[in-house]
Amino acid sequence: MMAVASIRSVFAGRTFAQIGLVWLAFVALAAIFSPLIAPFDPYEIDPIARLTEPGWPHLFGTDHFGRDSFSRALYGARMTVLIGLGAVIVALLTGGLVGMLSAYFTRLGHVLMRGVDVLMAFPALLMALVLMTLLERSVMNTIIVIGVVYATTTARILFGMTLKLKGEVFVDAAVCSGAGHASILFRHILPNLVSPLLVQASFIFAFAQLQAAALDFLGLGLPPEVPSWGNMLSEERIYVTRAPWLLIFPGALIILSVFSMNLVGDAMRDSIDPRFKDDIAGV
Amino acid sequence: MALLDVENLEISIRFGHELLPVVRGVSFSVDENETLGIVGESGCGKSLTALAIMGLLEGSGVRVTGGRMRFGGRDLLAMSADERRHIMGNDMAMIFQEPMTSLNPVYRVGDQIIEALQQHRNLSRRAARRRAIELLDLVRIPEPDSRVDSFPHQLSGGQRQRVMIAMALSCDPKLLIADEPTTALDVTVQKEVLDLMLDLQKRTGTAIILISHDLGVIAETCNSVAVMYWGRLVETAPTDALFETLAHPYTRGLLHSIPAIDRDVDWLDAIPGRVPTIGEQIAGCPFHPRCPRAESRCRHEVPQPREIAPGHLVECHFPYGGDR
Repeated sequence: MMAVASIRSVFAGRTFAQIGLVWLAFVALAAIFSPLIAPFDPYEIDPIARLTEPGWPHLFGTDHFGRDSFSRALYGARMTVLIGLGAVIVALLTGGLVGMLSAYFTRLGHVLMRGVDVLMAFPALLMALVLMTLLERSVMNTIIVIGVVYATTTARILFGMTLKLKGEVFVDAAVCSGAGHASILFRHILPNLVSPLLVQASFIFAFAQLQAAALDFLGLGLPPEVPSWGNMLSEERIYVTRAPWLLIFPGALIILSVFSMNLVGDAMRDSIDPRFKDDIAGV
Repeated sequence: MALLDVENLEISIRFGHELLPVVRGVSFSVDENETLGIVGESGCGKSLTALAIMGLLEGSGVRVTGGRMRFGGRDLLAMSADERRHIMGNDMAMIFQEPMTSLNPVYRVGDQIIEALQQHRNLSRRAARRRAIELLDLVRIPEPDSRVDSFPHQLSGGQRQRVMIAMALSCDPKLLIADEPTTALDVTVQKEVLDLMLDLQKRTGTAIILISHDLGVIAETCNSVAVMYWGRLVETAPTDALFETLAHPYTRGLLHSIPAIDRDVDWLDAIPGRVPTIGEQIAGCPFHPRCPRAESRCRHEVPQPREIAPGHLVECHFPYGGDR
């Protein structure tokens, strides 16, 4: 009940964010139920039906192997959600831990945060490319690489926020009541970081999709046979003049999803504005 | 031997490569059932002294650089972090100045008291909760059984300060340090909170150190008073003796700068001059540039504490009521 009420208050009066949320719900449903919805096997090659135009039964047409684009797009939603969530988890866990520990233990922070600074000096895509060339192409590695790239910004943000919370009187009060370091960090400071972490997660999710699509397109992301929106773009780009729909559909899906995620993230960020703090505490 | 004995405490702040002393030669002691008031203007080192006793200076660039602090006969400065943690919250507790920010906004107040309890007492969650409700009742929070599940922002400032007091008292501490516990509260609530503390002292015999810049509060509540100026204790005395003699010119100046309600004045009395900055070098008595009684001796010779009456120590060459 409380969760429903707070979601409603976050999105109240934000038509675009609401549309974004609905779209993301579609993507999530497609991801979960893709084996049930997909009319064809996304891996099944049909050389006779190569590059057919969108229509019935191939809603999005077929690619140059004769695979059904609509089914591949549905399974692609799966990859999108998987990589998005995976990257968020990796980024928040590693970046969050580095940021919090750095702020709490000042000396350790001097060392760790300089390392973060060095990593942040590289453009995100460049760093992802370098890391991917060192690793094998796989779903897991893509998640780890994208997660690590965005861990740096997470670390920076949490570093600042933890530094601020560390100076709060309730932290002193906790020390006074005999709480140890772990208890202060994870029981007293971390719960205060949940809102900014959620917002950060929404943006990482959006950027991870773009990043993954870019890596796929450059041939360094997921293995080529895996149906993902980025791979669909990458594989079919040479047919852009003969079968433009093969690029338009996955491209539009990427744009819509990233845009939706950003709108949702914006709405969430605005709602944790200090003026609305009381609404966020969960009451 | 007193419960808490502070001897020659020196606290310094790191400023680049230098260590500048901000609290020097502070000595006092408190015993059970006693309330010691520490007064002084902002920045005189009274809060730092409290934080040093609680061991909260660690990692802040400020640290204890000299002197001794003994609590129940044990040297606080020689203790390991673990031993210290065991004492904190258990034998010693602190109430802070800002009731608005000293509770964690994301936890229910009951949970915060329960945590403090479980840290030191081997209690089941249910027993701890029952005790938390008892404590809230003890600090006179209305409807404690439902208030225990409130978030801090649902309580008023006075109620939050009571919750803080309940937390501080949860393990029956022997020593309670209250750092300006009433500064952020209305006058009526101030009185209630102070009465509450003294009432609890009667029951449990807790020693209280009350830090304040409000001489009225101090006069009402404390057995003895220590006046601090620029990191030094300039006068220590039983409350009655202090307010009767006002031996140190600074103490006198402080009291005279409080406007009286029955006198119509255009201009408030103030102590002339300004508080010296940290690290400033002042020859002789640190108060002499502002002192109405300063003579050439004050400019050259640092006054040593001397006893002008039993238990009444003054750091001044020419105290009021003393022989000149």
